[in-house]
Amino acid sequence: MSAGDKVVGIAGARRRRLHARSEGRVPATGPDLEALRARIDALEGELAAARASGAAPQGLLVALARIVQEGLSGFGWASLARTWREAYFAYHSEDVDDFGYDRKFTETLRPFFEFLYTVWWRVEVDGIEHVPEHGAALVVANHSGVLPYDGLMINLAVRHQHPGRREVRMLALDMFALLPFLAPMLGKTGAARANPDNGERLLRRGELVGVFPEGVKGVGKYYKDRYRLARFGRGGFVRLALRTSAPIVPVAVVGAEEIHPVIGKADWVGRPLGFPYFPITPTFPALGPLGLLPLPSKWALDFADPIDMQGYGPEAADDPILVNRLSEQVRSTIQRMIDGRLARRRSVWFG
Amino acid sequence: MRVALTGAASFLGGRVLRRLAERQQQDELLVVDVAPPPAALGVRYRPLDLTEPAADQKLLDLLREEEVDTVLHFAFFTNPRRDQAHAHELESIGTLSLFAACAAAGVKRVLMRSFTAVYGARGHNPHFLTEDTPLHPNPVLGWARDKREAEQHAASFARRFPEMRVTVLRFAPLFGPHLHTFYTSIFDRRVVPVPMGYDPLIQLLHPDDALEAVDAALATWPRGAVNVVPRAPMPLVGALHLAEKLPIPVPHPVAYAASDLMWASGVADAPGAFVDYVRYPFLGDGARAKREMAFEARHTSKEALFAYLAYRYPGPQAPRRRREAATATDVEASA
Repeated sequence: MSAGDKVVGIAGARRRRLHARSEGRVPATGPDLEALRARIDALEGELAAARASGAAPQGLLVALARIVQEGLSGFGWASLARTWREAYFAYHSEDVDDFGYDRKFTETLRPFFEFLYTVWWRVEVDGIEHVPEHGAALVVANHSGVLPYDGLMINLAVRHQHPGRREVRMLALDMFALLPFLAPMLGKTGAARANPDNGERLLRRGELVGVFPEGVKGVGKYYKDRYRLARFGRGGFVRLALRTSAPIVPVAVVGAEEIHPVIGKADWVGRPLGFPYFPITPTFPALGPLGLLPLPSKWALDFADPIDMQGYGPEAADDPILVNRLSEQVRSTIQRMIDGRLARRRSVWFG
Repeated sequence: MRVALTGAASFLGGRVLRRLAERQQQDELLVVDVAPPPAALGVRYRPLDLTEPAADQKLLDLLREEEVDTVLHFAFFTNPRRDQAHAHELESIGTLSLFAACAAAGVKRVLMRSFTAVYGARGHNPHFLTEDTPLHPNPVLGWARDKREAEQHAASFARRFPEMRVTVLRFAPLFGPHLHTFYTSIFDRRVVPVPMGYDPLIQLLHPDDALEAVDAALATWPRGAVNVVPRAPMPLVGALHLAEKLPIPVPHPVAYAASDLMWASGVADAPGAFVDYVRYPFLGDGARAKREMAFEARHTSKEALFAYLAYRYPGPQAPRRRREAATATDVEASA
């Protein structure tokens, strides 16, 4: 069945239903729950069918065709709202979890993410078996690349290469979680704001949680400082792991430093817009929106042996010396893995 | 137990009054308010204006005369008031007078209504606001400032008079049948401006759940603040789409300025600072209510939304439906 057939089919059904309603055969109730559910079910079925047949999801196509068709028969707010709604629910589910994780939205973006993973950055993964099969664990990585693509790639690596097909719930920096567009995007793809309370809640539910203890010092560092780990915050991630007895899995990300090489910063531009810094790269802002395109470096993710927290007990979280020692241990593990990978790497682009 | 209730004319106060009137001896219930309650309920009524200068003395005499041992304080405005000074007198100063009178009269228990919006919707809030999260509403928003002051008075009296049990229920925004507020009216329009690039989770509390929570609080009287929240939140834009609205994204600086302008010119129902609440989430955490009052909401936010919509658009007479029917006829005619 072609896309065109499907469009006409749906529109025809709607027209028949509206006709029936206008003649009083179907009782028109307020926001018609049953009809709404049926419509969403139908759209969902259509999406599943489209995916099964290997075609791209057609929500937007259907919506565009609908707009054209509506335009022929007179245009109103109601029809526009309906079209918009159908396009929205083709890509969003009605129910999200209490952190706002929308599986359907994530599925919609997945082809794009997978393109980045397999084609653009050709991510190479080593030691994925160190991620526990089930139960809570804290995945700790170095942060780089201006925009949080590294979290996304860690998520995809665990989802694709790990036998448990687990989901990593990333804890995103406040600055990302406050920015327009990026904030709802992160929430809907399963990230939560980086604060101890969110981390603890997710870990207590037995989730895999990803953190970047370097925070903004890591993600926005200059290109000349690449692969030199910044201070690991104040060890909050270690306290989190100790309190919940979740093992820590250190991860080294190599390749993300080169996607947006920061050669300058114009903080006076960023501050009023809500960015803590405003990066200048060879392509941004010189090329405008095109400068947001990340460079296609070759990536490698190395997962190290988990560091067990069972032996310490939750009260150890109040021991600042121990917290700092563990934090330093994780930091040096990651730095060692990065240095090893860099020594073996011959090219930024081909690995 | 002799119960005095303020704010019986408010939506929630009125519901609580009706529920108590069904259950209790009429002479055990006393309404203290500026307006009398519906005569059909047959409850006792003593007029009192909490904003008048000697309100605390009057209330004290009244509480002693009537031998009141339990006070339910529901006299708060859900809608922002144009007369901010009066709202301040009632909510902040009125609450101060009420607690002063209660403490002097030896009232044993006080239940106060509050709002999760008093936490403030800020980007830096934790995702789930527990009761010990500091209250940081937008400082330019008098609506929330007065309610925070009321909470501060409650906390201060609870500390100074430990023999008086003070329970504060922070309700998530109520959403359901028979409710008409400045935020439910958003769902009465067809086109709804939303801040561009933001889609916070929102909590909509079904009024039945709110009443159950009041019941649970009256049975257990936990000390301090307790959040009363629905079973699950939902995204704002998703809610608008489910309600068949047309959300129009507006850059948030424009949204603040335009709402302020419209509020000042009398077109809008709320000032611009309320845009915070559709930009950032303010989600109360319901764990304490579950732990200490054994209360868990039965409805999700989505169910509360649908309950409101079913009430608001009851049948074929809804204007939107008529338009749709007309469009359908046009389609047939052109075909």
